Amino acid sequence: MPITIALMGNPNSGKTTLFNALTGANQHVGNWPGVTVERKEGQTRHGNQVYTVVDLPGTYSLGAFSEDEVVAREFILTGNPDVVINVVDATNIERNLYLTTQLLEMGAKVVVALNMVDEAEDRQISVDEKALSRRLGIPVIPTVASKRKGIDELMEAATATIRAPLNGHVRLSYGESIDGKIAELEDLLKNGDLAYPPGWLALKLLEGDEYLRKVVDVSLKLQGSDEFTRFWDEMAVQAEDFQLEIVDSRYKFVGDVTKDVVRRPEVAVQTTTDKVDRVLTHKYWGMPIFAVIMFIVFQLTFAIGQDLLGGWMATGVEYAGGLLESLLVTVNAPQWLIDFAENGVVGGVGAVIEFVPLIVILYMLMGFLEDSGYMARAAYVMDNTMRAVGLQGKTFISMIVGFGCNVPGVMATRTLESKKDRMIAILINPFMSCGAKIPIYLVFIAAFFPSYGGLVLFSVYALGILVAFLMGKIFSKTLFKGETSHFIMELPPYRKPTLGNVLRNMWDNVSGFLTRAGTTIFAVVSLLWVLAVLPVGVEPYGAESILGRIGLLIAPIFEPAGFGNWQAAVGLFSGIAAKEAVVATLGMVYAGVEEGMELVMAIREVFTPLTAISFMVMTLLYTPCAATLGTIKKETGSAKWALFSATYTFAIAWVLAVLVFQVGRLLGFS
Amino acid sequence: MLKQLLLEIYKADYVSKSNLAVKLDSPVPLVEEGFAELVRLGYLLEDASLNCQDRPCGRCPYASMCQKEPLKTWTITEKGRALLEDYQAAV
Repeated sequence: MPITIALMGNPNSGKTTLFNALTGANQHVGNWPGVTVERKEGQTRHGNQVYTVVDLPGTYSLGAFSEDEVVAREFILTGNPDVVINVVDATNIERNLYLTTQLLEMGAKVVVALNMVDEAEDRQISVDEKALSRRLGIPVIPTVASKRKGIDELMEAATATIRAPLNGHVRLSYGESIDGKIAELEDLLKNGDLAYPPGWLALKLLEGDEYLRKVVDVSLKLQGSDEFTRFWDEMAVQAEDFQLEIVDSRYKFVGDVTKDVVRRPEVAVQTTTDKVDRVLTHKYWGMPIFAVIMFIVFQLTFAIGQDLLGGWMATGVEYAGGLLESLLVTVNAPQWLIDFAENGVVGGVGAVIEFVPLIVILYMLMGFLEDSGYMARAAYVMDNTMRAVGLQGKTFISMIVGFGCNVPGVMATRTLESKKDRMIAILINPFMSCGAKIPIYLVFIAAFFPSYGGLVLFSVYALGILVAFLMGKIFSKTLFKGETSHFIMELPPYRKPTLGNVLRNMWDNVSGFLTRAGTTIFAVVSLLWVLAVLPVGVEPYGAESILGRIGLLIAPIFEPAGFGNWQAAVGLFSGIAAKEAVVATLGMVYAGVEEGMELVMAIREVFTPLTAISFMVMTLLYTPCAATLGTIKKETGSAKWALFSATYTFAIAWVLAVLVFQVGRLLGFS
Repeated sequence: MLKQLLLEIYKADYVSKSNLAVKLDSPVPLVEEGFAELVRLGYLLEDASLNCQDRPCGRCPYASMCQKEPLKTWTITEKGRALLEDYQAAV
């Protein structure tokens, strides 16, 4: 007589590995009838007996939430397997035992294959399988399916279970009230001639299993019984509570079973996380600690990225520029092309690329913080501060994304449920200093504040956040009033950062930066180069060129802010296309004017420390780039809000830049 | 356990599964499972992911950077709040 073993387990519990270990090449694959779920079946031999092994779909539970679940439970209940081998992942035993609990509820003959015990051992998770067996009332056999360990013992236990009568099963109690209802319903269903065990069916119906409800409804109606419908109508009001109580009882059972059976080292590690969090996320110290950490990050960025590596990149760019020029001269390229390569490509795009070492270091350090789990704490600390000023804390999540790029920052506001919160988050996101603005600050820091790089960069970021907070507060009191929604942030446990993750994070950012330099920035610089050398006959890169004339037209606006020269004006103008273009434009126009002089040297001659600060404030806060404006239009569904964002940010930036310059001048700074 | 878990989530300033595990005297994986179950039963909502799978990132060079999810947030649903009111009234 053929003996059938059903293999049941959570996805990734090693069920298929065990199936392969049992059946080897003796298997065939088909589909379960009526569904697209794969059916795998094979043969195995133990002693003189041949067994048919059916690999059921991997599921976490035996509800009716997926075809997999329905297929698995239908086979166990109506396919008459002689025994169910429940594959339990020893490294994730608590989760896996939820399914075991449901198998016990079905009254099936079950043997637990406690799989991957070697991995559990590696992770210092110990499971007392004998105690577990006693608590569950079924055999528990440790296995390592991938190494064929424990297979014979498992088959031995399965064979013994098949031969033995069904007893010793633990019966769960779901509380007096539910147990009573189960008994009541079971009595009704006993007369229904249904294919399922009445006790289990009663339990599943009380749990709100719609699939079985339909089956029972149809079957009992066909038999002319309306007792069930009457019972159910009375029950309908309480159905939800029952569902929660039943699920809860299973978890309580699993918790009770594993409490004395499983030992994990993580508990100590996790508790340490909470102890550290008490300091790092403290109501009062959390924010200063975050500020200090960020300050250290910026200081290290300059110490390593500029002082140690910065010179290499500048030399490299210069060397590559020289090579390109020599090559063009050798092939008798026209003068305009040589000029374009020298001043447009090397002077413009090269000026942006020179700052790659700083960006590499900055994003490596940020990646370190992110991978350690600290950035989530930073968001939590900021969230608290935002709530304190009456803003929706979740806004800060979109702001964090905005530090990379404002486009996804604006898109990330989609997670805010209330329209009010979302509009505020969209409108303040451009104040977050995106990665594309970094080269602007770096040029000016290198020119005027090389010894205070970390402090200046930190101040710039802090100013952006401060202005965003203030504007958010103003918007919430004026344009967008209303209630903010409440949410709870999850803080993951601290981890030791891995070099791979840190490098990957850095590369994601740097590759994006380099790609932009080679595409968008190159295109913008090419266009600006044409405008800088036309019309023919005027001095290239001079005030008489088209670019110079545009600059002269705009420049008076910035006169009160201290940088009313046409080069700065066209730099800001091109920044509306893409923020990296500010430095690229300055690199090109100053490279043209100051032949052979580095951009930093040229900046030092044209700007003063005070106007440099004023210019940085302007670039931090003024009109977002075209891509961000397009995203604002799309996300708000209105060009008016994009226009509003473009103008109000410009106004704020201008006012603050003027304020910095004028107050600074009054105080005697130059 | 699930009602108690929901109550602890509601009372907490932030979700720390390890902290909740200590409070509920349950292992962390079981607390994680409890979260999944509360979501499935409609008492808790895992807020929309920030990754940009549904966003038109196209060939944006920063796409890989932006697809990172900085952190996870949860919201207790109306159904969850109603349950908590009943539960708190009962205990």
